[in-house]
Amino acid sequence: MLLTRLASSTVHRLFIVASKPNPHLLHQGAALQIPPKTARTMSRTSESSSSSSSFKEAFGNYADYLNNLNEKRERVVKASRDITMNSKKVIFQVHRISKYNRDEVLDKAEKDLAAVTKQYMVKLVKELQGTDFWKLRRAYSPGVQEYVEAATFCKFCRTGTLLHLDEINATLLPLSEPSIEPLQINVLDYLLGLADLTGELMRLAIGRISDGELEYAKKICQFVRDIYRELTLIVPYIDDGSDMKIKMDTMLQSVVKIENACFSVHVRGSEYMPLLGSSEPSSFLLGVSDVEL
Amino acid sequence: MKSAFRNAYLFTVSLSRSLNPNTNPYLNLCSFSHKLPLLSTTYLSPPLLISRHRKVPGRSFSTTLSMSGGADSPSPSLDKQFEEFRSKLEESGSLREKIRAVVLEIESTTRLMHSGLLLVHQSRPVPEVLEKAKAQIGVLQGFYNRLAEITRECPGQYYRYHGDWKSETQTVVSLLTFMYWLETGNLLMHSEAEEKLGLNSLEFGLDIEDYLIGVCFMSNEMPRYVVNQVTNGDYDCPRKVLKFLTDLHAAFRMLNLRNDFLRKKFDGMKYDLRRVEEVYYDVKIRRLTGTGDSKDANQGVVEGEDYDVKIRG
Repeated sequence: MLLTRLASSTVHRLFIVASKPNPHLLHQGAALQIPPKTARTMSRTSESSSSSSSFKEAFGNYADYLNNLNEKRERVVKASRDITMNSKKVIFQVHRISKYNRDEVLDKAEKDLAAVTKQYMVKLVKELQGTDFWKLRRAYSPGVQEYVEAATFCKFCRTGTLLHLDEINATLLPLSEPSIEPLQINVLDYLLGLADLTGELMRLAIGRISDGELEYAKKICQFVRDIYRELTLIVPYIDDGSDMKIKMDTMLQSVVKIENACFSVHVRGSEYMPLLGSSEPSSFLLGVSDVEL
Repeated sequence: MKSAFRNAYLFTVSLSRSLNPNTNPYLNLCSFSHKLPLLSTTYLSPPLLISRHRKVPGRSFSTTLSMSGGADSPSPSLDKQFEEFRSKLEESGSLREKIRAVVLEIESTTRLMHSGLLLVHQSRPVPEVLEKAKAQIGVLQGFYNRLAEITRECPGQYYRYHGDWKSETQTVVSLLTFMYWLETGNLLMHSEAEEKLGLNSLEFGLDIEDYLIGVCFMSNEMPRYVVNQVTNGDYDCPRKVLKFLTDLHAAFRMLNLRNDFLRKKFDGMKYDLRRVEEVYYDVKIRRLTGTGDSKDANQGVVEGEDYDVKIRG
């Protein structure tokens, strides 16, 4: 019985030797007497072991691939953070708008936005070539969403219309050489940024109401309602739409807040003291002369 | 009403400076204090402000904003843009459904292969077991070709849909590497795995991280395999498996990993390695491996136990 076992293990050994010439294994007889630890050291240090060295070569390549990927990812995340921070500054700048400083506020905001584009969005251009555009989406998406939010916010305050995806992508074309793939924002990031825009518009509307610009607030209300309506048709088709669904809920809350604020002003408007000299029939100051201010 | 509303601000500020600003929520005094000086500027023509005008200040402000579009109807360009989005997203949605259908089939094929391969634990002869499993590789090739075709419609978007086939591919890789190891005792490389599945990295390739995770899954099978082989009398198996797994673990240690799924799986590999070491040790000290000793099995066991006692103090 021992002989057959010996024979079978020899056959095994020969089989291994036949498939892969491996001088190391021929010394197995001696190695077997050594406790496991040394055997392991032996296999590690044996340079003639072609199987482990071929592992090493291949895994060296895999290591390079992973290193490059992770470093790129880090760069993209950093760029995304810069974009987020500076886009937020643009948004805050726009919030400073009022009846009296509209143009200067918007001019500065647009200038700042252009700076964000030129300084920070440009960093994404070279990182997101080819398949990396989708591979690294999680890394840059928050930054791009914030950027879309800022850009659409500026446009709305300037013209009252929505900045289209094509338009915003057109502004990104000059960032890259015509020979390489331009950075183009994808539909998903655009829509997510748009959802965030409604939150900022809600804040703007409430602020405008406080300043007495009720009509402006109503325009915002109408605009946000339109966006909400359009998006309800699209939400089901969005890739991993769980983010979007949460944003839709928030959006509805924003719309309702604006509507409620407009309602309050509308209903309570008659309670406001009219200016001296107002010819409003309900005004108790009817007939009083104007005040020079 | 609206003009009254507007005028009310100016009135309340001018008349009631002593009013506590905080009590009136509609008084935005801080912004007001710098508005008053501006009233005398020509920024907004005075008639608009101190007005008996029925004209609503808000509306005139909005005209200075030059808000375009109808007052209440959404602009047609808005509609158009969202229509385009909807159709684009619908397309990608249907693409995703096609992909999912193929992936489900991949999954059922891998299940078939896996259940076949499980027979090696019951010591069926390896070639026989491998025969059946290998037949399925052709089937898998077909499925991956279909995936390549489907994604060919949207070039460059491999990673957009990658999540849909990621885990099934990892399973496929683990099965293929296990089969390859049973056959040859070596590790199937990434490029070889790609070839087996009929993939090419230019078009529709095998993601390297998927490959590495698949290899980690394969190592999870080793302890169980080794234990069952020894039970069935193959005492040489632990040595081979140990060597292989040691080399594999050493190779993986060359990688710099983030704290993600791959890292977790790789951390699991060391437990597999330890288990295999234990089996190898058990077999060795009992002299069960064929070393040319003329001692018979039972005596070997007794001596093994003595040795065991000795080294454990």
